[in-house]
Amino acid sequence: MRQLQFMRSNTFRWTAAVSALFALFVIVLFGFIYWKIDTYLIARSDRMISVQMNYMAELPHDRRIHAIESHLAQDSRRVQFAGLFDPSGGRLAGNVESVPAGFALDGSVQAAKVVRMGAANDSGPTIRAVGRRLDHGDVLFIGRNVDETREISSVVGEALALGLVPALCLCLVAGAWLSLRAQRRVENVNQRVQRIVAGDLQERLPHDGVDDPFSRLAVIVNGMLDEMESMITALAGVGNDIAHDLRTPLTRARLALERGRTHATTLEQLQEVTDKAVAGIDQSLAIVTALLRLTEIENSRRSAGFGNVALHEILREICDVYEPIAEDKQIALGVDIDRKLHVWGDRDLLFEAVANLVDNAIKFTPPGGKVNLALLRGENASIVHVTDTGPGIGEQEREAVLRRFYRSDKMRHTPGVGLGLSLVAAIVKLHGFRLVVQPGPGGRFDIVCADRQSS
Amino acid sequence: MTKVLLIEDDDGTAEEVVAELSGLGFDVERAANGIDGLAKARANDPDVMIVDRMLPGMDGLSVIETLRKDQVATPVLVLSALSAVDDRVRGLRSGGDDYLTKPFAVVELIARVEALLRRPVDSRETTLRVGTLELDLIKRTARRGDRSMDLLPREFRLLEYMMRRSDQLLTRAMLLEEVWNYKFVPATTNLVDVHMGRLRHKVDGPGEPQMIHNVRGSGFILRAQS
Repeated sequence: MRQLQFMRSNTFRWTAAVSALFALFVIVLFGFIYWKIDTYLIARSDRMISVQMNYMAELPHDRRIHAIESHLAQDSRRVQFAGLFDPSGGRLAGNVESVPAGFALDGSVQAAKVVRMGAANDSGPTIRAVGRRLDHGDVLFIGRNVDETREISSVVGEALALGLVPALCLCLVAGAWLSLRAQRRVENVNQRVQRIVAGDLQERLPHDGVDDPFSRLAVIVNGMLDEMESMITALAGVGNDIAHDLRTPLTRARLALERGRTHATTLEQLQEVTDKAVAGIDQSLAIVTALLRLTEIENSRRSAGFGNVALHEILREICDVYEPIAEDKQIALGVDIDRKLHVWGDRDLLFEAVANLVDNAIKFTPPGGKVNLALLRGENASIVHVTDTGPGIGEQEREAVLRRFYRSDKMRHTPGVGLGLSLVAAIVKLHGFRLVVQPGPGGRFDIVCADRQSS
Repeated sequence: MTKVLLIEDDDGTAEEVVAELSGLGFDVERAANGIDGLAKARANDPDVMIVDRMLPGMDGLSVIETLRKDQVATPVLVLSALSAVDDRVRGLRSGGDDYLTKPFAVVELIARVEALLRRPVDSRETTLRVGTLELDLIKRTARRGDRSMDLLPREFRLLEYMMRRSDQLLTRAMLLEEVWNYKFVPATTNLVDVHMGRLRHKVDGPGEPQMIHNVRGSGFILRAQS
């Protein structure tokens, strides 16, 4: 079955179609050559018999008979026809029985059917001939058999068969070979891709290092697979982090429930452990919620909710919300919003981003410290500037803080989901803005909101 | 008796919700898919509907949109495992309905159903009164009995919201959404408590009976009488 599959392959079909076209072309070409040669030969023999006619007609009567005889005698191929007839139609010389009926004796070359002297049957060959009535009534008839053209046609046909058939066979064989080869390569790739689909991410497509399209494609796909492999490995790492962060509160919940079930003797004690367990479950749920939110923001490509957003209003609102929180922690929340700056974006998301930064700043700043929120104008950009007098972020951690679940070792025991900055980064990226973590002292975050390109 | 229609395909969730609402004295009916739900909504004319967003047969939002096209104005609480940012949900919320993301606490669900049933009438009143508490919306002044209170704008906004919904449980999530316009869960979990603490400090003076009550683990209630 598989051996015959190549017949159905595209390559083979194309080869067959091209072969057929080629054959048609060759046949037409040969036909044209045949027609050209035929026309040429007829024209040549027409010229020849005209010349002979003129020559014979010029001769004196007695020498004419002799000339006709010797002309015919020299014709070893028996293609020449000639006849001289008296006015009454009686034959004086030549090898033609009579002038064919209806033959115009006006000196023009025509096709005619003649009977050779002594021929067994009546149907002679069709020849080219010319006839003329001479001065004293005699009729001179000269013709030539052009059957040579038939020979030529058989030669041409033979040549055609000799050339065309092997060429066609060659085409078909080449087509079959090419499609078999392509099929084998595809089959090979197919098997490997199936292994990759089955989970073998180390598998790569074969390529022979030659600069053909197939190899180039394989190289590109292999590059893509490299990228995917490293991404999936990274994802697995994130997965581990998620598992760890989810398991910790769930373990706490489970332990509390177990202990309550064994040791609780009063309703109050049972309620107490249940509350603890619910708190643990709530923390796990908060992580899941934050993760989903993150995915949602990262995947949202739409800017339908975008509009002109007044940054100063957002900042003032955030200040309003967080002032009491900061006060409770004895942190001074300073604001510097003199300018009225607008950007193009989603108001709710930008609010969330800035709120997260301020929330973080307050969380990580020890009592007695200061958190400052400012709106600045940079080069072609509006900048939201959040600073605090907390521990700040070390140089080697600046990349890592934007990673999911990253929490600085110093902050291990600060409550939180560890996704806040990832969320900010995702929102900022969605807007085409930049989140810049500045060197200390203290924490310094900038959201650089590039001005909208007027288009 | 208040009639509640619950359209929810998950039996476990439905069972808990039905038990809880019945315990509170509601007349609860349940439909397990959208088509049945739509039929029951048309036949029984419930006072409030709780609709799961993803349902077999006909999705929850389509059920609501179909009813709205028929001029049925029954308030709806939509439940969903998806979060609430897409435009269809935004439209729903602006129509006065509510949205709750799964998983949710039962108190949260009850509080929101109660809130939907007791939607504040959009009165032309310029003065709100709850017990001895008085809020002048024009002059932006607040008094408790003879004592005048000095409220910051954010405190005024919070008190106004609570006075319009007195004797109702207001959860932290509801306050965040309605008073502060939060569309997400803030990282600092005691955000609402801090604000409420300050407001309470001003509303419930020393020696005065308490009006703002903290319901443990759920939220806050403003009561005329303690």
